[in-house]
Amino acid sequence: MTQDKYRYGTELELRKLFNIIKEKGYRVIGPKVIENVIRLAELKDYSELPFNIEDVQGPGTYKLVKGNFFRHGPDSPKKFLFPPRLLLFKVYDDWTIEIPEVEEELIAFFGIKPCDLAAIKAMDKVQGELGDPYYNTVRKNLLIVVENCVEPGETCFCSTMGTGPIAESGFDIAYTRIGDVIVFDYDSELGAELLRELNLKPLDPDIRSKYAEVVEKASSKARADFSIEGLPEELELSLESPIYKEVTEKCLGCANCNMVCPTCFCFDVVDVPVLDGSAERIRVWDGCFSYSYAIVAGGHFRPDLWARYRHWLLHKFSYWLKQFGRFGCVGCGRCITWCPVGIDVRESIIKIINWVRSHGETSK
Amino acid sequence: MVKLLSKFIPKVATIRKTVIETYNIKTVYLEVPHDFEKPMPGQFNELYVRGAGEIPISISDITEEGLIAHTIRFVGTVTKMFTELKEGDKVGVRGPYGNGWPLSELRGKDILIVAGGVGLAPLRPVIREVERNRSLYGKLMILYGARTPRDLLYRYEYSRYERIPDSEVLITVDRGDENWTGHVGVVTTLIPKVDIDPNNTIALVCGPEIMMRFTVKDLMARGLKGNQIYLSLERRMRCGVGLCGHCQVGPLFVCTEGPVFSYETIKRYFWVEQI
Repeated sequence: MTQDKYRYGTELELRKLFNIIKEKGYRVIGPKVIENVIRLAELKDYSELPFNIEDVQGPGTYKLVKGNFFRHGPDSPKKFLFPPRLLLFKVYDDWTIEIPEVEEELIAFFGIKPCDLAAIKAMDKVQGELGDPYYNTVRKNLLIVVENCVEPGETCFCSTMGTGPIAESGFDIAYTRIGDVIVFDYDSELGAELLRELNLKPLDPDIRSKYAEVVEKASSKARADFSIEGLPEELELSLESPIYKEVTEKCLGCANCNMVCPTCFCFDVVDVPVLDGSAERIRVWDGCFSYSYAIVAGGHFRPDLWARYRHWLLHKFSYWLKQFGRFGCVGCGRCITWCPVGIDVRESIIKIINWVRSHGETSK
Repeated sequence: MVKLLSKFIPKVATIRKTVIETYNIKTVYLEVPHDFEKPMPGQFNELYVRGAGEIPISISDITEEGLIAHTIRFVGTVTKMFTELKEGDKVGVRGPYGNGWPLSELRGKDILIVAGGVGLAPLRPVIREVERNRSLYGKLMILYGARTPRDLLYRYEYSRYERIPDSEVLITVDRGDENWTGHVGVVTTLIPKVDIDPNNTIALVCGPEIMMRFTVKDLMARGLKGNQIYLSLERRMRCGVGLCGHCQVGPLFVCTEGPVFSYETIKRYFWVEQI
């Protein structure tokens, strides 16, 4: 890892960076406490960043306490790049079709975590490459400032998924808070330019070793008890496993996991009649746990929850690789935290692997 | 401002002709704009009824004048709207989507069509193609079954299929009625009645999933290999362009990688419950 481009400064420099970005006309979106939850929302001021808050996360639990380090809440960048509701078009009774427009604005994500940066990279493969015009319009001018995770939470497993806790590439700026010191990195020309406006110094040996220590500690914490080596292939051998029935005994089929997932891209389109006689078609988030997801008139391809869970898990950890060449899971752990009954995908995977190893098919 | 020219904006088509096929099935012939891509047999379009919704429907014919036919069974909210739609009415259309039947692989081969119920619709363009370019293909065998005689599609043109040189047309119903003198039994009971050359036959299958499973078993027993059997799958193809996720069968997007799959390609997932 080359640390030659790393620079450090005090928190004042981070504040300065925030203000510079705002002055350049960016709408800054970042973590902010709203009704006792960290949300992603527009930040008017640097002071809104929840630096004095810690989110205590566990399977099915989430609470905020006073602390030094936050991770995230239910929102992810998906909300802004791929909004939950988007008008596709409006059609009048004479069949005139009105196509909506989106404003090209400068948007900056400030303080998102490496897992969410990875989620943006995943979305680049889906909405980006498949040509979603809304996604690509917002994405084009996106400035990304990542806050590296020195204290991953209980549901985090980004180390295992290879997406964190330190962002390696694909950002403009990444910063790491180590006590009073903030270490800055850049990965774009724009990022480098912005950092030149700050009063930063090259790392001295002391900070360098402190940084290494913090990163090492964080990396070992954000680990699940499985490895992604050979995982997709192994999971594919579990198609007939009864474990899915066991794991979903308490699943409610609420699709919370789909909604909070930063990469879940499925959508439905709903028809809304308008009083002026026109009709709108609106794209809305959908998820493979919703009952109607695999329904067709006169049939249902996945009526049982265990089958929907199997599809979801295999999609994230196996099918994605075939479809888009990368994992669909970034290890953010939101599906664990926001599951109302606390189903833990890390545990499910271990159970499934154990089943495959003892019962699995031998031929593919 | 950037106009959101997504893949979901339909083109406007006009219904030029309708044919009542059965008590719950109707074919609509659409005049589409000139820049609409000409569909291939086995592909589908997304049809949009203004204010009601959009549905994926396979293409059941392309006429000499370029009208695109869709045969629609009234089973869901949107399809039921088609009971009311008549000549001159407009619908939205997006497509054509999907891969279609492997026409180039059929060259010189015997073609065995096995269809159940409304599953004959996406195969009708294949029959038309063989009729039009007869010398390109080998023997044509059509095995078609429906629940009752009332459910049989395109009854008015079976004699036309029979007139295609070197063709065999066998029809069956699961349950007959007082006027039915033909074969009774599920469509797979017709398979022993045709002479299949396992070295030179491609089977094209479309119907309810359960019917396709039994058909695959019986065709394999007759010596066909996985790469000689093609199946057209039904799924919830909401977007048609591999974006919305609903149509996945394992890692396969039925809308873009299908709806036609060789059995060889999908055998790993084909038998898995609720895949």
